[in-house]
Amino acid sequence: MHIAALNQAAEDAGLAVGESLADARAKADGLQVRAVDATADDAALRRIALWATRYTPTASPWGEENGADGFFLDIEGSAHLFGGEEELIADLAARLKNFGLAARLAVAATPGGAWALSHFHPSSLFVLPSGEEAAALSGMPVEALRLSPDIRITLRRLGFKSVGALIDKPRAPFAVRFAAELLRRLDQSLGRLDEPLVPIIAPPVYHSLHYLLEPIATQEAVIARAQRLMQMLANVLTRDDAGARALRLSLYRVDGAVEIIDIGLTLPTRNVAHVARLLDLKLATLATTHDTEFNSEFGYEAIGLAITRAEPMPARQIEINSAELPGAPDGDAAERYAALIDALRQRLGLHRVRRFEPIASHIPEHAEVLAPVDSEEPAWPLADEKPRPLLLLPQAEPTEVTALIPDGPPRRFSWRGVTYDIAGAQGPERIGAEWWRTPHGEIKPTRDYYLVEDFGGHRFWLYREGLYGRETAAARWYVHGLFA
Amino acid sequence: MADTPGLSTQKRLHQTRNPANGRVTALEELRRLLPGVDDVHSTVPFGLSALDSHLPQGLAVGALHEVVPETDRSVSAAFGFMMAVLDRFSSPPPQSLHSGARKRGPGGGKEKQIILVMPAYGQREHGRLCGHGLNSLGLNPARVTLVETAHRKETLWAVTEALHSGAPLAVAGMIDRLNLKTSQKLHLAAGDAGLPLLLIRPARTLEASAAATRWRVGTAEAARDRFGLLARPRWHLQLERCRNGRPGQWSVEYDHVAHRFSLAAALADHALSRGAGAWPLERAPISSLGGS
Repeated sequence: MHIAALNQAAEDAGLAVGESLADARAKADGLQVRAVDATADDAALRRIALWATRYTPTASPWGEENGADGFFLDIEGSAHLFGGEEELIADLAARLKNFGLAARLAVAATPGGAWALSHFHPSSLFVLPSGEEAAALSGMPVEALRLSPDIRITLRRLGFKSVGALIDKPRAPFAVRFAAELLRRLDQSLGRLDEPLVPIIAPPVYHSLHYLLEPIATQEAVIARAQRLMQMLANVLTRDDAGARALRLSLYRVDGAVEIIDIGLTLPTRNVAHVARLLDLKLATLATTHDTEFNSEFGYEAIGLAITRAEPMPARQIEINSAELPGAPDGDAAERYAALIDALRQRLGLHRVRRFEPIASHIPEHAEVLAPVDSEEPAWPLADEKPRPLLLLPQAEPTEVTALIPDGPPRRFSWRGVTYDIAGAQGPERIGAEWWRTPHGEIKPTRDYYLVEDFGGHRFWLYREGLYGRETAAARWYVHGLFA
Repeated sequence: MADTPGLSTQKRLHQTRNPANGRVTALEELRRLLPGVDDVHSTVPFGLSALDSHLPQGLAVGALHEVVPETDRSVSAAFGFMMAVLDRFSSPPPQSLHSGARKRGPGGGKEKQIILVMPAYGQREHGRLCGHGLNSLGLNPARVTLVETAHRKETLWAVTEALHSGAPLAVAGMIDRLNLKTSQKLHLAAGDAGLPLLLIRPARTLEASAAATRWRVGTAEAARDRFGLLARPRWHLQLERCRNGRPGQWSVEYDHVAHRFSLAAALADHALSRGAGAWPLERAPISSLGGS
């Protein structure tokens, strides 16, 4: 067992990363040891990176190749909101310190440069002016290039101890002797090659964020603030002739946790009141499901509203006296319908507001599906002559049937404790198993459906499973549906 | 004509399509200046004088209507009647018989939706609504938006929300219990929105209510064609209460092709037609109508 990480006190005692645990115990008494929990570390890093989206939408936690102990922030375009790069990292450092985290922060024009500075610069807060990467890196050891261990060892063995020794050397010999990684990392650090960052959450199309002087905790205050943010976004959307199809509200809690609420819309919208109402419904639902959400003493210190999906939405002329004909909605009615669907979904859930869609299948329970409402209206064919029940039981229920002849229509059946004498039966409608849909599975027996009516006028849909003589010796009967 | 209270929405619509009539357009203008006044009286007739004479010119549009299954076993009949009434609300008027066929497909355009609020917990007992079944009752399933709720509070919320939005053509649903106060709220909401609200409620939890009409629906033997095949569903209807109308009971059948109700021929002998074709079985001596 070896030491993977240690705190300041252990470092002061002369311990180092990589040392064996037995040696460490001999050097320092009262050493406290915990096993490494990589998944918990990873989750904590993700959490803190998510929190850091309060500075910029693009936060990218480090993967294994970067050491998995930090994250990149793309602060281009957002540093001025904090008064500059120095102020931004000072603010970030102060907040991290409040969480009990000691951090090393560096700003540079390239992710590689920032990584190197944060690891090897003597100051824990450092901003490197753009264009000085080569000068800053040349004094650093080759480890600053984020290389794999074998390349690092080979370089050291060949006498290349600092980055400066590599920068102005002819490239061809390196390309021949080393994996492409070496030159790629060098170029990335110096800004000759682009290094794409993988953001922790999909970057939004439009984004607005508000920092609060005083944390807020009530739902009303959150909604009021979100409404103002949406107003700002709506102006931009109007300018671009676009409407929001998906929104994300991020609530940055004082203790560093971030709550993210995603909202999808049926039609693109710029309507501030509509968005505010949907957020309100969603928050109310969250509050009832896990009631600690808004009752916690933690407030929110920042609120961000992002549009994650935007669609073109041309400005529409509103006709003041458009005569509304019943049955034929104009654009306004379609919009109101979409708003209603959005509201129902926020409160009840996406899968609870659905429409019937036909499916080309002969098996009655597979012949249709309930699909979430979208802009496309399902196309139903006109009804054919085959009788179909208005109510279909979730599962066909077995029933006791008396018939005159084994493969004839039923005479009497009992279901749910009641016996029905059949006045007339219509059928059979034979529905065979769809063997082409079950290439390897067991083929189900054929069904013979009968529409039966008892003397009281109750109409049922019964079926007999299995063909006598060929598929089964004793067919079973089921009730499958109820007719109007 | 503006002071003819019984003029149905459909009829008005029918006349506005005739631009040559200058007087009608002038009246339409005047009517637009008085929004809401006309809506209070707007009704949809059954197209069946026996029923319509008991109602104030038909079913009020901006009102709550209750549908009560006679027994637990006539829930599907109650659903059938409700769907037929919804079909009446959404279909072309009976006056224009030539347009009886429903417009469909890409040429039909987008139509207003019917919001159907169904509690998910009743489905094990009664089964779930089947799109193909709606289709064979004549109601285009694409026009129905199904909202599933987990409890009564959600059902009431969803119904009110749908009414307030004013977007759908009609709101319908099923609720296990409804007290007087809530029914008043719903009735007012339906009136404000000018939308019909139809609710199925079980007979055993019946309480006083503010609904405009209450229909008790029982099963009845279906009408058959000359081959003995089931042609039209038939229900035993009992109009229990009706604002500005009087109660009554009828045996009606519904023709899903013409979207029309008609009175069941009470004296028709089913046994005769059943003697031929697919009805080889003899009829039992006693037949009971529903569970009443």
